[in-house]
Amino acid sequence: MNQFANVTQQLLKGFGENSFIFIITLLAALPLGFIVSFGSRSPFAPLKLLTKGLVWIIRGTPLMLQLFVVFYVPPLLSGGAFNFSRINAALIAFIINYAAYFSEIFRGGIEAIPKGQYEAGQVLGLKRSQIFFKIILLQVIKRITAPIGNEIITLVKDTSLASVIAIPEILMNAKDFSMQGLIWPLFYSAIFFLLFCGILTLLFSYVEKRLNYYKG
Amino acid sequence: MKKIISFLLVTAMLATAMLATALIGCGGSKGSDNSDNNSSDWSYIENKGDFVIGVTYFNPMNYLDDNGELTGFETEFAKAVCEEMGVTPKFQKIDWDSKEVELNAKTIDCIWNGLTINDERKANMDISNAYMENKQVMVTKAENVEKYSTAEGLKGATVVAEKKSAGEEVAQTDEYFSSAEYISVDSQAKALLEVKSGTADIAVIDYVMTIGTLSEGSDYSNLSVIDSQSFAPEQYGVAIRKNSTETLKKLNDAMQKVADDGTLNEIADKYNLKDLIIIEAEN
Repeated sequence: MNQFANVTQQLLKGFGENSFIFIITLLAALPLGFIVSFGSRSPFAPLKLLTKGLVWIIRGTPLMLQLFVVFYVPPLLSGGAFNFSRINAALIAFIINYAAYFSEIFRGGIEAIPKGQYEAGQVLGLKRSQIFFKIILLQVIKRITAPIGNEIITLVKDTSLASVIAIPEILMNAKDFSMQGLIWPLFYSAIFFLLFCGILTLLFSYVEKRLNYYKG
Repeated sequence: MKKIISFLLVTAMLATAMLATALIGCGGSKGSDNSDNNSSDWSYIENKGDFVIGVTYFNPMNYLDDNGELTGFETEFAKAVCEEMGVTPKFQKIDWDSKEVELNAKTIDCIWNGLTINDERKANMDISNAYMENKQVMVTKAENVEKYSTAEGLKGATVVAEKKSAGEEVAQTDEYFSSAEYISVDSQAKALLEVKSGTADIAVIDYVMTIGTLSEGSDYSNLSVIDSQSFAPEQYGVAIRKNSTETLKKLNDAMQKVADDGTLNEIADKYNLKDLIIIEAEN
């Protein structure tokens, strides 16, 4: 029993790291992705190309590699004079990566709104910004809840990748126990992810229900 | 209006990119000053006052005790040596696969975690005098010990070892294993898991690793070491950055002192590793 308590405590400590990365990434990547989605829809060609190029690089390379680049490349180039702390490097990589994915979901959501909605706004004499924030955005949010939810659930599990730059997250701690002769903590760690994702799933279905007041 | 916003956004992005380059760039010039002077690795460490020791957790070398405190043979040994060197030890958990990158990026100052001395590593890093011996042993289910104690018994058996480890070299090149199948996995713990779950018959792993993992009450307690055979004796050393002559000398001297005053033997005795220590005390 004592051993079980000890393992649970270590795994919880690790899961604290996962949760921290999850929350900060979500808080920063959602607004950042929103801004980036405007870049990739911009009528100004250089901005559009630049944004699309960045999104291509971020989505086209493994997150594991991006973690390596953010953490190791600055100190390697500067001879150890400059480096991010491990957790900051992880946050930077996760935020940029998830902002790229979110931006594409936002872009898809915005472009899916029929032209008639804009025209109706114009007829009512609304300004462009009023049309976007008062008519379009709310419909976009409804449409993207499911894909964003999908991405958020993926993020929960992706946080484990932070172990490649030695963030002591839950899977790393569980693997350490197998070096001490205990196998079960590795499988036990699944419970933490399942519970966390279970809560998120319930939360999303609640949000979707609340947004169900009007079928657009 | 829209054009202006776009223009501002592009400018902001470019500015950020340039700032980042400048930061890395200016750091870079500082770094090259350092590498011009090879002896400065020690002054770099001395200046910051702490010696960052890259470790992974495994019993009995570095592991967390019941109170969650880092302990183990290497932990105590490193602490004693650091005291002798006049630096504060700081243990940093690393991913073993990235140990060389960590060292070169100066995110750690040494690798002190049962590191086997070999030519490839000697070419890339400076390595201290050997302090401990290790060998490769076979681990199998207790009921199979007798069967696999002779080379004939291995016919049709599956042997597993960690990729790129000394165990792999033994399993692939030693005559003893010539009639067996070989598979590789990414860690020694996984090699044991393969044997435990029956997907492989014999794991070739470090003897030191078996001390902590096969103990009473562990999940591997029905596995045993085949005592009659052992392979490829090897030696452990501490790795530091290439061309850090001064740091290397300090480290070797401090290790010798800790051996001379009996501290090393005392620590090794505590973890049942006394027979494996190879630094001779001079007095």
